Amino acid sequence: MRARGLAAILLIPLAAACGGREAGGPIVTTFPGSAVGVEAQVLQRQAADFMRLNPDIRIEFQRVPDDATQRHQLYVQRLNARAKDPDILQLDVVWTPEFAAAGWILPLDRLGADTTAFFPATVQANTWGGRLYAVPWFVDVGMLYWRTDLMDSPPATLDGLVERARAAMDRPEGPPRGIVWQGARYEGLVTTFIEILGGFGGRIMTPDGQVVVDSPAGVRALTFLVDEIRRWKVAPVDVLTWHEEETRFAFQNGTSAFMRNWPYAYPLMNGPDSKVAGRFSVAPMPAAPGGHPSAALGGSQLAVNAHSDHPEAAWRVIEYLTSPERMLERARAAGQFPTRPALYDDPRLAADLPIPPDRARAIIAAAVPRPVTPIWTQLSEILQIHLHRALVGQSTPEDALRDAARQMNRTIRETGVDELQRRAAAAR
Amino acid sequence: MSGSAPAGPPVPGVPMRGVEAAERRLGWKLVAPALAVILLIALFPLGWTAWESLHLHDLRMPWRGRPFVGLGNYAQIAGDARFWFALLHTTFFTIASIALELVLGLFLALAMNRAFRGRGLVRAAVLVPWAIPTVVSALLWRFLFDAQAGIANAVLVSVGVLDHPLVWFVHAWSAWIPVILADVWKTTPFVALLLLAGLQNIDASLYEAAAVDGADAWWQLRRITLPLLKPALLVVLIFRTLDAFRVFDLIYVLTGGGPGTSTEPLALYTFTALLQNLEFGYGSALSIVVFAITFGLALFYLKVLNVDLTGDVR
Repeated sequence: MRARGLAAILLIPLAAACGGREAGGPIVTTFPGSAVGVEAQVLQRQAADFMRLNPDIRIEFQRVPDDATQRHQLYVQRLNARAKDPDILQLDVVWTPEFAAAGWILPLDRLGADTTAFFPATVQANTWGGRLYAVPWFVDVGMLYWRTDLMDSPPATLDGLVERARAAMDRPEGPPRGIVWQGARYEGLVTTFIEILGGFGGRIMTPDGQVVVDSPAGVRALTFLVDEIRRWKVAPVDVLTWHEEETRFAFQNGTSAFMRNWPYAYPLMNGPDSKVAGRFSVAPMPAAPGGHPSAALGGSQLAVNAHSDHPEAAWRVIEYLTSPERMLERARAAGQFPTRPALYDDPRLAADLPIPPDRARAIIAAAVPRPVTPIWTQLSEILQIHLHRALVGQSTPEDALRDAARQMNRTIRETGVDELQRRAAAAR
Repeated sequence: MSGSAPAGPPVPGVPMRGVEAAERRLGWKLVAPALAVILLIALFPLGWTAWESLHLHDLRMPWRGRPFVGLGNYAQIAGDARFWFALLHTTFFTIASIALELVLGLFLALAMNRAFRGRGLVRAAVLVPWAIPTVVSALLWRFLFDAQAGIANAVLVSVGVLDHPLVWFVHAWSAWIPVILADVWKTTPFVALLLLAGLQNIDASLYEAAAVDGADAWWQLRRITLPLLKPALLVVLIFRTLDAFRVFDLIYVLTGGGPGTSTEPLALYTFTALLQNLEFGYGSALSIVVFAITFGLALFYLKVLNVDLTGDVR
């Protein structure tokens, strides 16, 4: 699999070469992408187009795990060993600061990235020490799915959400559950929480890195989730073991009036095995008085390996893949949301996205990134454990959040990440 | 070797000491390859892990370097509440599951020791749970205890034990039930077969004599079976304790350590620290602690309880 003595990038044995290898250029840029489904197909087609336009660059694919945790592990191990490949990394939105602080990915300003064309939240999530380290590729946001046959409009406040959920359950033949969300002990629980937290006007960390999740707003937000289960009984206790798919099955089978989920569920629930096809819509998660509607931000970014032998070539591939036309192709093929707001005015997008573009843009505009810190995975694990303890009744929301904040602040101190952040900003 | 001194009784005229020394040298040479393999695959990784455990080494934070911190990681473990709870969970799991397995296993072994038609078939059938990979049986038990579709809830609700389906995995007390049941279901056959082997070593004439003297079955069990079964029981105990103390896959699949961290055993915590969070220093220290505890338990059984792993009565 060596590049015929021209370029010196090794491929791992499982590497799946894409079409067009015969073009034979001086540079090979390896690129790990999802190996399955429509996503892989559209990516391979775009890579082939790129190589036709740029005969001097050849793209080869590596197979990496689709599971985010496993992919993260693989990346960290390879980058620690200063591996030169893959040249381009596909990052989850919360990994960019970690990889940037570790010096594993290149800052993109010297390669000429223009950030004004992207949603501000996606740029913020990929910025470390004042510099952009990854280009937002497609965006994922949490949204509230609601049943159009059980109510006329989505709720405008969080109280209204509970009232409508209760009213829907009380209807004759109404669904047995009011709302379902991701409540198992994993990253999904944090995204569920962060939306309610924003709705109450709270946040997890201040911009200068202090953990404030145990603020009164934080306690009110966690109490709201606990009350949905125990006091108002609109959310089933089962959600505390549920991930995305379990909530989708519950909603899709018509057993819930509301669901918190990502956009991927939308086309699936209009499929032939859905009992709610054509009878649901989406809205931003509502807020309480004093807060603002908030959507957790997810999605994929592209970054350049700091040890790559061909950063310029890698950058050209990224530039191509994140260009407006390629984003429209991706939206058409895989239903993924472009990261450029201007595209939502393009009439072509209206036909391709499952959700009307103006509604999608409104939800993405309300997106809040999770705290931009290199140690987010550690902080998130602490938060997940304490959120889950409060939800299952092992501790009160106050105690849980106080313990979480204390541990998170200690971790920040011990790892010296606050100092690192100051240094990165000062170096700029 | 010289080949002049065959093994066996001392050859007259040859000094005893020389023969023995030669024999000993030969012995060491013969076991040298095996010792080398043990050194390479057991002691070297252990030593490496111990060395790693003396460093602060977090793969995700290269800016902290890999400084030598002495026993710093161990001091951190001593103050780590999650570690102590994991130790508590592991101990609870070990005691609860082994107690059930010993009682049920003995019962099964006694039953299989009787002569009856189809005994061979029963002995083979009993082994089925043991033959199923742990991950598969853990998934099986997770489906059985699923809140919506699980058969456990369906049965318990229909016979009136539960008013409404229970979500087993959101309460600490109820999450332990499938965990321990799954381990008992899987491992009792192993216990039963080891005990059965022990039972068959007991001389049948002892029971005949006892019966002639008028001893009932209960007396025979207490005074003949159990004392003579002691070596087999201890072998079971040592294997099961060491296994149960390192429990990982079963709980990883069944509860993931939740709710919160209330079913998290030591091995799962170590895995999370070492391989999920890539804290190589701290995770290595945790591994060394787990190793020290299981090694200590093994020594305790071997020295204090005098277990002979070959199963002979002492």
